Amino acid sequence: MIELKKIKKSFNGQKVLDDIDLTIEPGKITVIIGQSGGGKSVLLKHMIGLIRPDSGKIMIDGVDTTTLGEKELNEVRKKFGMLFQDAALFDSMNVGDNVAFPLKEHTKLKGREIKAIVEKKLLQVGLKDVTHKMPSELSGGMRKRVGLARALALDPKIILFDEPTTGLDPIMCDAVDKLIVKTQQETGATCIVISHDIDSTFRIAHTVAMLYHGKIIEKGTPEEVKATGNPVVRQFIERKVEDNNF
Amino acid sequence: MLRLFEFAGRPFIYLLEEFGRILLFLLSIAAWLFRKPFRLKEILKQMEFVGTNSLVVVLITGTFTGMVLAIQSYYGFRKFGGESLVGATVALAITRELGPVFTALMVTGRAGSAMAAAIGTMRVTEQIDALYTMSVNPVQYLVVPRVVASIIMLPFLTIVSDFIGIAGGYFVGVKLLDINSGIFMARIYDLLVVDDIINGLIKSAVFGFILSLIGCYKGFYTTGGAEGVGKATTQAVVMASVTILVSDYFLTAVMF
Amino acid sequence: MSKFSAEAKVGLLVVAGIVILVFMSMRVGDIGFSRNGGYSLYVLFDSVTGLAEDTSVEIAGVEVGRVGKIALQNGKALVTLKIRPEIRLTEDVSAIIRTRGILGDKFVELIPGSSTSPALAEGDTIKKTISTIDMDMMMSALGDVANDIKKLTTSLSNVAGGQSGEDALRSIIDNSREMLETLNKTVQENNEDVTRIIANFSEFSEQLKEMGNANSEDIRMIVANVRQASEMVEDLMLGMGEITAKINNGEGSLGKLVNDEETVENLNAALASLKNVSEKIDNGEGTLGRLVNDEETVENLNETLESINDFLAQQERFKTYLDYKAEYLTDTSDIKSYVTLKIQPKEDKYYILQLVDDPRGKKTVTEYTRTDKNGNTTYERVEEVEKDKLKFSAQIAKRYHDVVLRGGIIESTGGFGLDYYLFEDYLKLSFDAFDFDPDTNAHLKIGADFSPIKHIYLTAGYDDFISDNDTDSFFIGAGINFSDEDIKSLMSGISMPVQ
Ligand SMILES: Nc1ncnc2c1ncn2[C@@H]1O[C@H](COP(=O)(O)OP(=O)(O)OP(=O)(O)O)[C@@H](O)[C@H]1O
Ligand SMILES: [Mg+2]
Repeated sequence: MIELKKIKKSFNGQKVLDDIDLTIEPGKITVIIGQSGGGKSVLLKHMIGLIRPDSGKIMIDGVDTTTLGEKELNEVRKKFGMLFQDAALFDSMNVGDNVAFPLKEHTKLKGREIKAIVEKKLLQVGLKDVTHKMPSELSGGMRKRVGLARALALDPKIILFDEPTTGLDPIMCDAVDKLIVKTQQETGATCIVISHDIDSTFRIAHTVAMLYHGKIIEKGTPEEVKATGNPVVRQFIERKVEDNNF
Repeated sequence: MLRLFEFAGRPFIYLLEEFGRILLFLLSIAAWLFRKPFRLKEILKQMEFVGTNSLVVVLITGTFTGMVLAIQSYYGFRKFGGESLVGATVALAITRELGPVFTALMVTGRAGSAMAAAIGTMRVTEQIDALYTMSVNPVQYLVVPRVVASIIMLPFLTIVSDFIGIAGGYFVGVKLLDINSGIFMARIYDLLVVDDIINGLIKSAVFGFILSLIGCYKGFYTTGGAEGVGKATTQAVVMASVTILVSDYFLTAVMF
Repeated sequence: MSKFSAEAKVGLLVVAGIVILVFMSMRVGDIGFSRNGGYSLYVLFDSVTGLAEDTSVEIAGVEVGRVGKIALQNGKALVTLKIRPEIRLTEDVSAIIRTRGILGDKFVELIPGSSTSPALAEGDTIKKTISTIDMDMMMSALGDVANDIKKLTTSLSNVAGGQSGEDALRSIIDNSREMLETLNKTVQENNEDVTRIIANFSEFSEQLKEMGNANSEDIRMIVANVRQASEMVEDLMLGMGEITAKINNGEGSLGKLVNDEETVENLNAALASLKNVSEKIDNGEGTLGRLVNDEETVENLNETLESINDFLAQQERFKTYLDYKAEYLTDTSDIKSYVTLKIQPKEDKYYILQLVDDPRGKKTVTEYTRTDKNGNTTYERVEEVEKDKLKFSAQIAKRYHDVVLRGGIIESTGGFGLDYYLFEDYLKLSFDAFDFDPDTNAHLKIGADFSPIKHIYLTAGYDDFISDNDTDSFFIGAGINFSDEDIKSLMSGISMPVQ
């Protein structure tokens, strides 16, 4: 269970998160939507302790991570897997080593066992025969899928996806959506997904939350959100540009 | 008036801040140095990068340093018939100063800059954040191996450079300028002592520490995308080179 | 990519570096002057102005050692000379401080005495020094000498002029002739005594040869006898010296001598008898002659001295050391301890016997692989740790200058090691590799021992650092060591109050 309590964060005087209260139900898929530059990635990084809030608390399974030291924080982080918006693959390692990295770091598995897991995870994201390629030899979408494979490598309890489907073709989008749902069902993990794809959002989400001007302005099941009366949310999910907004 | 003080004081304060940050960075390196797991594979990889991959450059600079030193000192010594001292001059200058310093400067240019660039790129492309999310401390994973490898490898590069430098001096002095080879070597044995070599090597280990510390530091705190990486790289080379030369003076003053 | 692995390349550079370092320090450095190489002699000089420590000690321009500590003793300079082990010096060696080159670097030159004199050993003092006089002292002395010569010539011309001077001179010459005759007789008379001494002496040496590994008490006696004999000879020489001095004190009347026929005759007779003496010596007639000319005697003497030397040298070289060391393993907060017996028959070669109490014990790992019906493979590792079991090491070690290569059994497995000594053995860097089990990584250990004072050392390093059982650990610790000599003196020290 992840609880954000009164989280505030600004960068150089620019308020990005303003009093965020958000509870993520365990074992569910929560999708966060919101404008580009609205602070979704920043919110996600708060959850895993990469960014410390200016004020407020972040409770992970009852522990406030904002007060933890590096060592304890590392223990908490071992529950997480994270896909970065730009994949953040280690460009000094080939694809196979990237996916194997968390396995080598945190398990005592033998080389061939790790190799088997890596092949399996890559196959799940639709990649074959790429283990020896370097990240720079891959397309953006391929990199994203390698990042996804890496995030899933340790079968973590909490998985953070920063725009997993952006930049993929429609068929691949669908495949990744299905992978997220399937992984969640098989492992019972808590998934938090940032997405700009409204269709896919409503397809996979158990809960949808919308971030707007540093606040959570809407949170509920897909049905509830679809039926919302909030004009900002309505406009966002109906993909309309309101003249006075631009 | 006040603005004048502000204007003059700003670089000074900036320098102080920078110094403080490096010190804190150093402390975290020291803390992570002794914490498990010890990344021997990474250290080895960096030893290869800093050490063996710099060998050719170091060999070339070392040889020519010794050669040019032999020519220059020969013309000086010939004025009062002291040609026999050319070998000793070359050997002393190289083992005590030029070997350690030139090797360190070459490695700074080759490996120190690469450290800043590699770590800087990892910073701006969130790879360092990714390490954190995987419960791997980037100082331990990226910085400690580079620093350890540099401290270990610099003395080895330097001793090779010392040797090849003296060999270069020998070639020019004995083969080209016709100094008697026996007297050339005898003067070296007379005047060079083991401590000259050892102190030079100790210096080079300190230089290895400096260049890797600054390279990693500049990379680790890179901001501003690809351009930032470029800046960090340049700054790392300049700052490391200057620090190496300044600290060389103090090390020499303390040691010899 | 290249054919070589990163390991190979780095390893090659490291090895090349070490080889170059060792090579350069050997060529450049003071080989063989490490703490336990060579022996120390002392010498007292009136002044050692400009002499620095660690400058060279030479014989005939060849470096045979280095200057050690320079200290003040009773207003004189006490200089320690560290002499190479293979250089043999005798008691009558003399030491001079000399100057080299225009820059005036000072060094100590030794002038060897006769090869038959007793040899100097560790801690002995060189008695003969030839003082070199400072430049200005020499200048003023030269001035004095010139004045003296002038005075001498003046008085000489005075003496030569008068009759009284002439008479005095004649009586002196007569006296000296008498003296020489007596001397001749004395030598003849003493003949028997000296012959006996020599007979005794050769008898002793004969005995000694037979004894082979003679016990030291006898040797000491023999040496004492030899010394006595040589003292007698010396006395003899002294007598001769006095006579010559008296002749010389003819007080400068040489000018007159040449003109006086009787004087010349007397002188001739005197010289003739002197010649007689020396001829007898040459022909091996007199005792002295026997001593110098009898080859057998000389040979016996040489052999005796050699066997004494060999015996003493061997006693000196064969050493045993006992060593206890404890290492605190920072990772598990345990103590790993070692008891070591080092037997050193030769300076550069020794054997190590060692018991190791390793808190981690000996770990044996068995691995099972099972494949079930579904084709899934499972692994099972069984680890057995035998704690409280001592490990045992037995190694042969050989030292080349500053590097020691070791090999044999290390901690109950095969292995090898390498030590590198720095700063005159104050610091030792070591590397050990053992337990080459094909399934697991070898046990590697690096460490440094620093010995700030004799008998005690501090140690630190990194044990088992490529372990795949997580047994790697930093360690710090300390140790003590004693040689058999230390133990002997310790024992006698303890037993004293009991007596
Ligand atoms: N490290 C930082 N330093 C300064 N400003 C930052 C930093 N990280 C984020 N910001 C600012 O915070 C705001 C939110 O950024 P964030 O990356 O969270 O947006 P986002 O919602 O993920 O957008 P997108 O959908 O385009 O990824 C941006 O205006 C950005 O400029
Ligand atoms: Mg984002």
